[in-house]
Amino acid sequence: MNTEVLLAGGYGVLLLAGAMVLEWLSRHTHNRSQAWRTSGFDYDAQHDFWVCHKGEQLWPAEFDREKRLVRYRAKAAVCNACPAKGDCTDSNHGREITRAVDSWPHSEAGRFHRAIAVMLVLLAACELGVVLIRNHDPVEIAVLLPLLWVSVVALWWLARDLVRTPDGFPEAMPAHGNRIGRNKQT
Amino acid sequence: MEEKSVRRGFLLSKGWLQAVVIVMLLGFTVLGILAYKTYEDGAPVPVKVFDPQGQLLFDGDDVSAGQQVFLHNGLMEYGSVFGHGAYLGPDYTADYLRRSSNIAIAGNGGPPVDQDGMEIDGSDSRPDPAGDVARQKTIDQFRDNQYDEDSGELTLSQTQADAFRKLIPYYTRYFSVDDTEHGLRPEAITDPQDLRNLTAFFAWTAWAAAADRPGKNYSYTNNWPSEPRVDNKPTANALVWSAISLIALLGGIGLLFGAFGRYRDLGWHGREQTVVSFRDPSTVSLTPGQKSTAWFFFVMAVLFLIQCFVGAAVQHYRAELTSFFGFDLAVILPYNLLRTWHVQLSIFWVATSFVAAGIFLAPMIARREPKGQGKLGYFLLIALAVVVFGTLIGSYLGIHGVLEDAATNWFGLQGFEYLDLARLWQVLLVVGLVLWAYMLFRVMRSRLRSEHPGNMPWLFFLAACAIPAFYAVGLLAQTYEQFSVTEFWRFWVVHLWVEDFLEIFTTVMVAYMFVLLGVVRERVALMVILLDIGLYSVGGVVGTMHHLYFSGTPSEHMALGAFFSAIEVVPLTFLTVEAWSFLQLGANQESKSETEFPHRWAVMFLVAVGFWNFLGAGVFGFLVNLPIVSYYEIGTALTANHAHAAMMGVYGMLAIGLSLFCLRYMIPSKKWPDKWAKVSFWGTNIGLAWMCFATLLPLGIMQLYKSVNDGYFEARQFDFLTDKTANMLEWLRLPGDLVFIIFGAIPVLYICFLGVKYTIARRGEGDGEGEADAELFTVISGTSMEDEPPDMPARPEPTPGT
Repeated sequence: MNTEVLLAGGYGVLLLAGAMVLEWLSRHTHNRSQAWRTSGFDYDAQHDFWVCHKGEQLWPAEFDREKRLVRYRAKAAVCNACPAKGDCTDSNHGREITRAVDSWPHSEAGRFHRAIAVMLVLLAACELGVVLIRNHDPVEIAVLLPLLWVSVVALWWLARDLVRTPDGFPEAMPAHGNRIGRNKQT
Repeated sequence: MEEKSVRRGFLLSKGWLQAVVIVMLLGFTVLGILAYKTYEDGAPVPVKVFDPQGQLLFDGDDVSAGQQVFLHNGLMEYGSVFGHGAYLGPDYTADYLRRSSNIAIAGNGGPPVDQDGMEIDGSDSRPDPAGDVARQKTIDQFRDNQYDEDSGELTLSQTQADAFRKLIPYYTRYFSVDDTEHGLRPEAITDPQDLRNLTAFFAWTAWAAAADRPGKNYSYTNNWPSEPRVDNKPTANALVWSAISLIALLGGIGLLFGAFGRYRDLGWHGREQTVVSFRDPSTVSLTPGQKSTAWFFFVMAVLFLIQCFVGAAVQHYRAELTSFFGFDLAVILPYNLLRTWHVQLSIFWVATSFVAAGIFLAPMIARREPKGQGKLGYFLLIALAVVVFGTLIGSYLGIHGVLEDAATNWFGLQGFEYLDLARLWQVLLVVGLVLWAYMLFRVMRSRLRSEHPGNMPWLFFLAACAIPAFYAVGLLAQTYEQFSVTEFWRFWVVHLWVEDFLEIFTTVMVAYMFVLLGVVRERVALMVILLDIGLYSVGGVVGTMHHLYFSGTPSEHMALGAFFSAIEVVPLTFLTVEAWSFLQLGANQESKSETEFPHRWAVMFLVAVGFWNFLGAGVFGFLVNLPIVSYYEIGTALTANHAHAAMMGVYGMLAIGLSLFCLRYMIPSKKWPDKWAKVSFWGTNIGLAWMCFATLLPLGIMQLYKSVNDGYFEARQFDFLTDKTANMLEWLRLPGDLVFIIFGAIPVLYICFLGVKYTIARRGEGDGEGEADAELFTVISGTSMEDEPPDMPARPEPTPGT
């Protein structure tokens, strides 16, 4: 078998593996970052509430359909009297935590990583295709064709998901009023 | 009046500052010791070199003159010496070593060689006892170090002396050939004395590569390059320090993540963010200095586009050496000239963006801009243009032989890779950067007076001062100095300036942007900056030495360089993960915002910086970092892969991101070309990824395999580049390059053009110089702030923009 076929096959596998690792890393980073954003808070999935490190509970206060997130809020009176308030929140309405499905920029960063993964798989398909055109003995076809097929299937699956996933960039919400001018003196 | 007497204290505990100062002091102390060792124990240049009969072959001045011929003709941007340089031509250390050892073997009774010093095909296909004896004799001759430290004289063996005499005609033919078959201009070097000196320089590097250091069983270059003909193979140091640095990397990552996993409350995790509402950027008044940056960004984009075109032409040489789609490009624009431009422009356009971003941010931080800043800005721009175009024209004249000797050095090119520019332009660039630092100082003077030196305004200013200071270190690299010494100082710029101080200035700027936008508290940003400085400097300062494994420096450079540059990856990994969290704070959009976040694509470019920092600098960088890998890999496409992914991926993306951030305030919101910003984001990233994964990485893997399997010399020959598989990979890069240029660089130029257009249209607005009012800057509101009850303490550090 031609060395070029072996190299292309090996590199094709490497690219496909790279795309998979990127997908995993992207998801892992997202989850880790989400976890750090709620550091010090424990989530009770069964009853759907959070507990802060001072033992106060935060219950669902609002579901934001547009941003695809749930807002949880602690009692304002408890938070305002809490000695840890300074390190926890500026709000006087009680500490809020959001549980987001895919907030920006992670939503768009996720698309970025997905697009790179798509490109890696596309590249694997291109490289395997070119080498297959240049080397097509039966054995070489037997090595390259399955890899090409896997690449094309992976490409179709990833690309379809990329197109379907929204970027999640939030639009402006003028309905909530503009507070800019009232803050000049700070 | 009261305000003047109040100086704001340090926002964090003193331990943060002390840790950073100690890390810096220790790092530079070690680097100072290594500088001393480089001068003391670097590969010596003999005063005189004799043959066994006492006839003078060449002397130290010839070597120095040959080195200058090598540099001033742009040959370091064509091939390499000690592995450092460009990748089209051969590595001349390995090249001379192979040819001279072949000639020596033949002279000792082994297989015959042709006039180029290459074995005649089939001459050693049969068992050959005489050849084996000849080979062993050659090894003994090359490894035996007959350098007398007291007299500074070196005596070579007869076969080595014969090889030198025979290789002068070979290199004469190579460089004076009247066509462009090598990618150089026709008759590139024709002066016989120059060619003799050039051969002497190559001969000296090859001697240093094979002769044992006094008292050691390895050569001055730690046995690099791999060459069985002189028994050059990896040293114990290369193997041991590779293993230790690998352990340090894995252990370091585990320890750091473990420690921060346990004590992870650095202050920015888990804290609820203030609800922010961004002011429409086009309603923000701009100072004259800020307006002048529109032109900087336009020049940046022009230089970026030129660099792309030049890079495409450089790449074409690798795919099709003697013809550019039927045109003999090398007659006008030989490979070494184009690569000189490509490498220099990469620094110029990125630096232009950084300089402009600094000028843009300074009045936002100081909340004032003194008179004359705009004029100084335009003056600096013109000075920058003089340096840039002076460098481009000078290097053209130098490489085409119009300038000679000292004129080349001062007005043409010095020829060090990445420090190619002529001395005059180098001095002027340093002066320009000092002027830039002064511009920042005059804006921030009063603010600095009221701040503790450890707070952000001072860090911003000090980080800016470090940029001219460390670029100026490059002036210590003189073309006539011993090559190991020039390499030592050159890498202060290439590594320390780029990978440490630009990185630090970047972090300060990005952190400050978020502070100014009001989405990150100043205390948190300060923590991130100091953590960044500390962690980067732990590995980054001494890690500079990982470039000097094989440059004739002692083995201490290898040991410390390997270890510290490996642990440099630890903060890189950690800070990339941290950057995600930080970015999330910087662009937190989960809250209900009244106005659209204005910096979507600037932030997305920062996201890309995080990705490429991890992949390009971290993964691809570490891939070539271990001494044992570097031993076979240095100067192959894997180095180019790391360079492209790290330089363009990190600094290039950052430069574009910074420009988009600033231009967002210059272009009216209704005219803001969001679509083109998006196109440039995807174009640059997909193009760069294609470049790396379609060509550079697979080609680098192939070349590394070739180097280990067949030899380093073979891996750097034209025969490898013209191999059909390698050639296919080179051509596969074309689609990525087109995407990068058409969808990446051109939209950036268009956006920067709009910046100039609308800045001109807004001429006169906000030009009242002097104290600026609060309306000048981005204004952010926080629901909690305005609702704060009277008994609540005031926020400790209100963001400057509020």
